[in-house]
Amino acid sequence: MKRSGSDPISLNFGTPEVSPRTSSDFEEVPYPHQSATTTTQGWHVPSREQEELPLHYMGEETARRRVTRTPGGNGVYDTHVEGPDNYDDEGKDVYAKMKAARMPVSSGRPRRPPPPPATTVSEFVQQNLEHIPPIIYTLLSCWTRFHKIGKAGVVVWDEAHFGKFGSHYLKREFYFDVHPPLGKMLVGLAGLLAGYDGSFEFKSGEAYPDTVPYVAMRVMMAMFGVAMVPLGWYTAVELGMSWRACHLVALMVLLDVGWLCISRFILLDSMLLFFTFTTVFFMTKFHNQQYQSFSFDWWMWLSLTGLSIGCVASVKWVGLFVTTLVGLYTIEDLWNKFGDLRMSTRDQCRHWGARIACLIVLPILVYMSTFKMHFLVLNHSGPGDAQMSSLFQANLVGNNFASSPLEIAIGSKVTLKNVGYGGGLLHSHVQTYPVGSSQQQVTCYHYKDDNNDWVLLPQWNEPAYDPEGPIRFLQNGDVIRLQHGPTTRNLHSHTVPAPVTKLNHEVSCYGNATIGDDKDHWVVEVVDDLKAGKKVENIHALTTRMRFRHQVLGCYLRAANAVLPQWGFKQIEVSCDKENNPADTHTFWNVESHWNSRLPPGNSKFYRSPFLRDFWHLNVAMMTSNNALIPDPDKDDILASKPTDWPFLRLGLRMCGWGDTQTKYYLLGTPLIWWGSSASLFVAFLALGVYLMRMQRKYVDMEPREWEHFLYVGKVAFFGWFLHFFPFLIMGRVTYIHHYLPTLYFAVLMLAHQLDHFIFTARRLSEKTKWIAFGVCVAAIVITFWWFKGVAFGIDGPINEHWGLQWRKTWNIYNL
Amino acid sequence: MSGPQDVGIRQRARGAPGGRASQAQSPISEPDDDHLAAYRARDGEGWSIEHVLETREASVGIVGVLTLLAFALRFYKINHPDQVVFDEVHFGKFAAHYIQREYYFDVHPPLTKLLFGLAGWFVGFDGTFKFESIGDSYTDAHVPYVGMRALPAMFGSLTIPVVYAIMKESGYSNVIAAFSACLILFDNAHIAQSRLILLDAPLIFFMSLTIYSYIRYRKLRYLEFSPAWWGWLLATGTFMACTWSSKVNGVLTVATIGIAVLIDLWDILDIKKGYSIEYFWKHFVARAVSLIALPITLYLLFFYIHLSVLTYSGPGDTFMSPAFQETLRDNELLMNSQEIRYYDHITIKHKDTKVFLHSHPERYPLKYDDGRISSQGQQVTGYAHDDLNNHWQIIPTKALPETGRGRIVRHEDIIQLLHVNTQTLLLTHDVASPTMPTNEEVTTWPKDDHSRYNDTLFHLRLVDANPGGSWKTKSGHFKLIHVPTKVALWTFPGQLPDWAFNQQEVNGKKEIAEKSTIWYADDILATEDGEVKSADEIGHTEPKKMNFFKKFGELQILMLQHNAGLIASHPYASGPFNWPFLVSGISFWTQNEGQKQIYLTGNLLGWLACTFGVAIFVGILGADLLARRRGVDPIPLPVRNRLWNSTGFFLLVWAVHYFPFYLMGRQLFLHHYLPSHLASALVAGSVLHFVLSETINYPISLRGPSTRPQPPQKADIGMKGPVVVAVFAVFMFGLFVYIAPLTYGTPGLTGEQVNARRLLNTWTLHFAAKKTDHV
Repeated sequence: MKRSGSDPISLNFGTPEVSPRTSSDFEEVPYPHQSATTTTQGWHVPSREQEELPLHYMGEETARRRVTRTPGGNGVYDTHVEGPDNYDDEGKDVYAKMKAARMPVSSGRPRRPPPPPATTVSEFVQQNLEHIPPIIYTLLSCWTRFHKIGKAGVVVWDEAHFGKFGSHYLKREFYFDVHPPLGKMLVGLAGLLAGYDGSFEFKSGEAYPDTVPYVAMRVMMAMFGVAMVPLGWYTAVELGMSWRACHLVALMVLLDVGWLCISRFILLDSMLLFFTFTTVFFMTKFHNQQYQSFSFDWWMWLSLTGLSIGCVASVKWVGLFVTTLVGLYTIEDLWNKFGDLRMSTRDQCRHWGARIACLIVLPILVYMSTFKMHFLVLNHSGPGDAQMSSLFQANLVGNNFASSPLEIAIGSKVTLKNVGYGGGLLHSHVQTYPVGSSQQQVTCYHYKDDNNDWVLLPQWNEPAYDPEGPIRFLQNGDVIRLQHGPTTRNLHSHTVPAPVTKLNHEVSCYGNATIGDDKDHWVVEVVDDLKAGKKVENIHALTTRMRFRHQVLGCYLRAANAVLPQWGFKQIEVSCDKENNPADTHTFWNVESHWNSRLPPGNSKFYRSPFLRDFWHLNVAMMTSNNALIPDPDKDDILASKPTDWPFLRLGLRMCGWGDTQTKYYLLGTPLIWWGSSASLFVAFLALGVYLMRMQRKYVDMEPREWEHFLYVGKVAFFGWFLHFFPFLIMGRVTYIHHYLPTLYFAVLMLAHQLDHFIFTARRLSEKTKWIAFGVCVAAIVITFWWFKGVAFGIDGPINEHWGLQWRKTWNIYNL
Repeated sequence: MSGPQDVGIRQRARGAPGGRASQAQSPISEPDDDHLAAYRARDGEGWSIEHVLETREASVGIVGVLTLLAFALRFYKINHPDQVVFDEVHFGKFAAHYIQREYYFDVHPPLTKLLFGLAGWFVGFDGTFKFESIGDSYTDAHVPYVGMRALPAMFGSLTIPVVYAIMKESGYSNVIAAFSACLILFDNAHIAQSRLILLDAPLIFFMSLTIYSYIRYRKLRYLEFSPAWWGWLLATGTFMACTWSSKVNGVLTVATIGIAVLIDLWDILDIKKGYSIEYFWKHFVARAVSLIALPITLYLLFFYIHLSVLTYSGPGDTFMSPAFQETLRDNELLMNSQEIRYYDHITIKHKDTKVFLHSHPERYPLKYDDGRISSQGQQVTGYAHDDLNNHWQIIPTKALPETGRGRIVRHEDIIQLLHVNTQTLLLTHDVASPTMPTNEEVTTWPKDDHSRYNDTLFHLRLVDANPGGSWKTKSGHFKLIHVPTKVALWTFPGQLPDWAFNQQEVNGKKEIAEKSTIWYADDILATEDGEVKSADEIGHTEPKKMNFFKKFGELQILMLQHNAGLIASHPYASGPFNWPFLVSGISFWTQNEGQKQIYLTGNLLGWLACTFGVAIFVGILGADLLARRRGVDPIPLPVRNRLWNSTGFFLLVWAVHYFPFYLMGRQLFLHHYLPSHLASALVAGSVLHFVLSETINYPISLRGPSTRPQPPQKADIGMKGPVVVAVFAVFMFGLFVYIAPLTYGTPGLTGEQVNARRLLNTWTLHFAAKKTDHV
């Protein structure tokens, strides 16, 4: 246990003539304190306190605890004067001291006073030496990220989606997608800066024409990937890791082929990763400002955290997981503050207020403003119109809703829009129900199509509609028949259970222009009119909300986001609800398109649609579509993978065609990084369990500060990982391996933390051992990366000629 | 080694005579609260009602009355309806299978079903009635169903005194214990669930017994390793095993006890308690034996009985592996399995959908409706009926010996399949199948045209076979992997359009690992020489032997898989969030004649009381935490300890039996909440106690040799306690009677009466009166 005298690291407690090592007591302490006095980083600041209180004035027990070891454990003494309780060793109650270390400053990066302003260049360089490694890493990451970035001049993988969405911004056409708009707007911006005109279709696998500056766009996306590397470095520094661990974090971020590969294309993931990294970085930065609450720096890092949360959630909803991490951190922090009885009520309130303003209000504002910009830019009619409310669509340029006739009459051809959030257009098609009545399907559909057209006709027992007769306007309480335009069948309901919502009646299309019965009759009940108010008799296009009651059964026509199986093309089920819930907007419908040649066109007066309603509507629609992305049991997706496949990299993903002449990209992580980081999670758990049990038996393994630090970094890494991983397990939707990429970051932090804890800052190991371990880690990572770099840089020629890439049997990298 | 005995002796020495002595000398230190109650009452502090109610005699009386009421309410008209109700369809059938000794498969462990079988056998049920569908008449089939229903009703009734005892042992007064018992006693959901042949009543009974035993055991913690301590510890393990073996949800009870034990062990490990590590290990081993080894042994034992009873072939055969099936008497595999040789004519069936591999001279249309193009080859489909077009001949791709075992088809052989009627070879190629663009079309190719020889080669991969294993009919499950393109022959329940006579589509699937790609050879119709073997020629009919643990392991894995696979939607399924608020029930049974129905729903008043109880308790804990964080101790320490340790344990039971359902993908029903509901009734009782009074019965744990005597306290909830509980019980009973027609399924209700009983508009009752036109 004892160090030999020849050890390069020696103790310096200011009173070298008395060494604590003379104590026989010392044998009982598992870790003799051997903090190095010199560090490679040159951060040595002798502790004032240490000098004031020489060791020989204390008992051995006290002396043992006197040595404060920094969280990084890298031999940096802390200059922070701790409360007097910390060294009160009257009783031997270790737990009391554990509690004393509850102040939030006890973990994270060790603080040191700011250096005096540099007067000479060499002093400036001296002071900023620590920034040299990240600068080098950033340059290296520029090389990895940009190297041969334009090699595959074809649309790779999801570039087909996100490139297309970027084009929509340039063309300003409204589209619909399940992801929030920020990332795609940045794609659009990249296109704009690169001089792209938005004319390309981005069909999967198609070659880029000369008009598309795809290399420039990819480079701009890859910038986010480049920035991940220095962020990783500085986060590790802020987390108080030793310099070796910082190097490892930066190296792993630099050299993971998964992160590399995903950053090199026009995808959202590089931005998602970037903002995830910034969020963690700002949070750790903020943590280290905790000792000076309400200082400028404190406010700055807190609001930057909030800003970053807003951005990450505006790129993909996956960002909400890192938001939750910040939330948990904040809750713990506030809980500690709440227990601080010395803090004044005013300060308590200020703390709460600051968190609410910066971490709740600010992100929401950011999120909403991205949508505001989204709506402002996309002011032309486009492919996503039908997801939005009719009123919203009326405001889009190129949409003629506003000019269609205002008042609906019998004989009009209309489309009917469900008012409920995520509602679509009433639709029918020739396919029949495979269950229930086997009649023609009726669904809700989100795209414009002739099959959405319905003709309003009188009841069977009334004289047939006469196109020459007097115009009869539709009124509240009228009983009508709805005839499907293309198939001339009538909207019908009967006492057959609906296919999904089994408690409701099935709605189908039945008969034709001459065949039918009284189950085709629907009573029009007006709910209200968005312009004219509550009481209206005539039905207006767009603004009048109405319900359709089945005359015979008394049920209400309803479409509530229940998705039909594959036989219904995943469209939304329409059923007839036996219950009368007058407040259920899913039973509300409004006329969207309206054609009637006998009526005068409406004046294009301005239909206003409030932003908040559109915002909410679009978010619910996104949510609904997201939930509808469930694995299709009939159609197995060879690209999809299960969350349990990810941590140990059971599967990769072919990102493009696998022909011999194509450049092939395979989404796969650097195996060592993935395996090692996942394993470190288990190690962390085991270590925590052992330490806790030993604490319960009063074995003192660590200083309270060290323990705090061990917990703090472990908590950030573990909860970050858990929050990014666990939800995918219970999520019903289809998942892909790239969903693990943000998760991986936390696993990597955990790996570095565990290596730090067990090797780089372990007191028992010699500096030489640490060097060897460090060297082995670095070499292994670099060599594995080099081995696998092809999957991210692009593989040419027949894949089977590239030897040794299949490290697991389950990878489908080779053609069988 | 003398440690535990030592303690035991000391405890015994103190036990009977010493106890009395100490009572005589200083009654105040006597910790047994029942005695104390008697003492207090005798002491003449008052003969008022509230004190009389707290005596031991009153306690016995209360339990007696509650139990009698429980039996009365659960056995009332138990013979109605004389029809199969809801899941009796399953569990009644399983009982019949036990009596007939036919193998069946179910996702739940066997204990309760064995008991049902036993009950059925006891009352003379012969097992011929198969509980085919809801509404089948028992009377017509002469099924002694009342005897079978009596078993769960008995378990359900006995749960009441156990609930009472749990509260009593946890140190609450008789009145409060009666309150918790009433919440279960008058609950329509518990009653409805107990009166039918369903698994929940035994599950809940064993669960409550587990809790009871664990509490008894905890109270003996200062007399560790005494016989009583061991007794209750072992009882906990035993009942835990019974809970787990009753229904798969019982695993949650195991988890509850597991968590409680871990917390307990963590405390023992605490050095401040001053125990040595050897002492800790002793405790650890005691719990490992009683709560891990013993329950596992019992669980295995129940399965051993299950498998020893079910020795005949039955409906469950097909779920099991061929090796398992061959252990069952009269099993088809056992009777008909024979080795297949090259040039045999066979029929091939798909394992999941039970259709034959079929082909006929009609061709795929050149163009499908969606515009895709086919190869226009001969159709290959799945067909459910016997047909000459189902016959295939196995063509070798290697040289064969003239005779002998060399002609047997083996695992990993590459074969061709010749469609006998059209003399074409099975083929698949990189053309999209009729309905799935991702899968390959399967067609056939003339035998004599060798231009596409490679595309007709299939790799025969037997499931779970050893290298060189022979291919047998029935038992030889196999996958057919296309050699050039590596797709597996596959079919699924999807109909082709009219041009293929609505037969089932067969195509080549890329995911060859999936279980749905498994086929088996159904029968050998003719050998090469054209002779047809008769079934009699085929040898052994004696069942084979298989290791119990192998059988057990296979069954466990299948149970887990099928449990997770129960995801089909059901009109009465409901999400866990709805349960505490009783948002929706389940329609068990209806009869148009007389407008009778059984609708599983709880006593709304009781459920809301329970849910409020839980909510208030969580609120109290939260407030306590917040207050203590600010340095305020609002609750006196003994009361606080009681709240955290006793009520906290009830809350743990509730939470562990409730929250995991949020993570489950399978279909969920209201009755999955019943164990949690019982726990919430316990919480509600102790919250009521806390609200009524700040006093508690203390101490309730038995004093050990080294425990310091504590000044005992007596809970005093005053007169308001009995009054509140009595009034509540009356209201609950009233509501119970009001909803009872839905619980007992009789008498029938008119439409208006149904509407009136629809206390929440989310309940979907049958025979509701049509609302007249409104708006």
